[in-house]
Amino acid sequence: MAVIEYILDLGPTVMLPLVILVLGLLLRQGIGKSLRAGIMVGVGFVGVNLVIGLLTDNLGPAAQDMAERFDLGLSVVDIGWPGASPMAWASSIGTIAIPVAVLVNIAMLVLKMTRVVNVDIWNIWHMTFTGAIVHIATGSFWLGIVGVIIHSAFVYKLGDWFAPVTQKHFGLEGIAIPHGSGTWSAPFAVVIDSILDRIPKIKKLNFNSEKIEERFGVVGEPVVIGAFLGLVIGFLAGYPLSDILPLAIQMGAVMVLMPTVVKFIMEGLVPIADAARGILDKRFQGKEYYIGLDPALLLGNSQVVAASLIFVPLTILIAVIFPGNEILPFGDLATIGFFISMAVGIHHANLFRTLISGTFIMVITIWIANMTIGFHTKLAENAGTIDGGQVASLDQGGSPITFILTELLQPQNIIPLIIIGGLYVFSVIFTYLKFKRGKMYDEEKTTGVESE
Amino acid sequence: MKKVLVACGGAVATSTVAAGKIKGLLKENNIEADVQQCRVSELASKADSADLIVTTAKVERDYGVPVIHGIAYISGMGIDKTNQEILDNLK
Repeated sequence: MAVIEYILDLGPTVMLPLVILVLGLLLRQGIGKSLRAGIMVGVGFVGVNLVIGLLTDNLGPAAQDMAERFDLGLSVVDIGWPGASPMAWASSIGTIAIPVAVLVNIAMLVLKMTRVVNVDIWNIWHMTFTGAIVHIATGSFWLGIVGVIIHSAFVYKLGDWFAPVTQKHFGLEGIAIPHGSGTWSAPFAVVIDSILDRIPKIKKLNFNSEKIEERFGVVGEPVVIGAFLGLVIGFLAGYPLSDILPLAIQMGAVMVLMPTVVKFIMEGLVPIADAARGILDKRFQGKEYYIGLDPALLLGNSQVVAASLIFVPLTILIAVIFPGNEILPFGDLATIGFFISMAVGIHHANLFRTLISGTFIMVITIWIANMTIGFHTKLAENAGTIDGGQVASLDQGGSPITFILTELLQPQNIIPLIIIGGLYVFSVIFTYLKFKRGKMYDEEKTTGVESE
Repeated sequence: MKKVLVACGGAVATSTVAAGKIKGLLKENNIEADVQQCRVSELASKADSADLIVTTAKVERDYGVPVIHGIAYISGMGIDKTNQEILDNLK
């Protein structure tokens, strides 16, 4: 017991590397490869802590000054999924989440409850996040694991339901996207699409998105978004120019450095991911299965790119208008497309509809993310990432799956739970019925002519 | 030295897997190349300096540089064919 406690006390930068080392050895990846993988995960944690430090130490105070001067919320920085995922991996749930999520997948495949063979090990972090937040909220490790189980089972089902969209719209044959943020939002888009179909005139409306990427491509580059936000927030915080310009460069740096450090965690997970894929491939192969992959696959689609560019300013606008919002969107802006990627397919690339459902999705996301700031901050403290201030994330801090599970077990926000829970459960049932009737993606359907 | 850009949505997950496999492939075939990761949204400004782009996302845009869809490295299906495409492009 004393040994375990000693190791736990060393903190996540040592803990998870050890777990990866042992897991690698158990999966017969060899001592050299396993050791390297473990160390790489640790390197990733160290890097992430440095970059999150750069973000919260500089943008944090500026956001607070801005908030005070203009009586705005926006004082809690959104660290984005690149910031939230390492915290999930660093949690105690993170140490066993991968085997749990893989076993849930295998059990569902054996029982023919899903066709998705999920080889996307990285995104198990979403399920881990839910488990870790449930653990923090309830104080029970085992309820946290139950959270991982429910979340993973649910997203494998989402993968099944939206496979027709993945295949027919995005042309990804034999592939499903069982994902915590790319796909959770899709049931809302299904309902909104059906509503818009029933409104005369509106149902014919569409925008032309062809020129968006050409015109705004450079502005949409993460480094430019970061620098620009640094500039604007520094200005609004009332900083002198000699402080504004460095802040702008620092925020550009955060956008560039973030993936550069987080990828080391992935590098460390590769041997485990390869082994898991080997196990799954051997048993579940053939036409009746979908390979479950990352929604990054959708982000190259030109319609998704166009919508992503629009949703960068739109998300900030929603954050400014949303009553009582405390979150300053930042880290997730670089990949805001994840939230609306599946919606683009559901709407048959109708940009007008994507704007409507995407706005709804971001409102819900920001609302939820505000209510999870406390738990998220605790998660960040446990991971040793911050030792003061508060953090939030849109992706996964703003996900209804995490929120509903946590609130059901530890109710704190009853009215939001009833509203969001009601809307979400309705959307999920509606989506399921549509899938059951084979109407998830009708190739014949056109949603109006494109207007200039 | 040739330069290969490996891109995905966030330059964290799938591009790391693909870049690792591509580095191994090039080493085996004694091809010296600089393999770099980036986000799809950064391709337009980085493409100029690259000889080849491999993306796990399906991109539709023309960057003036050959683009190979590297989904095989993620799904595990058809890796040999993608390997060959990459080698043909860099030779």
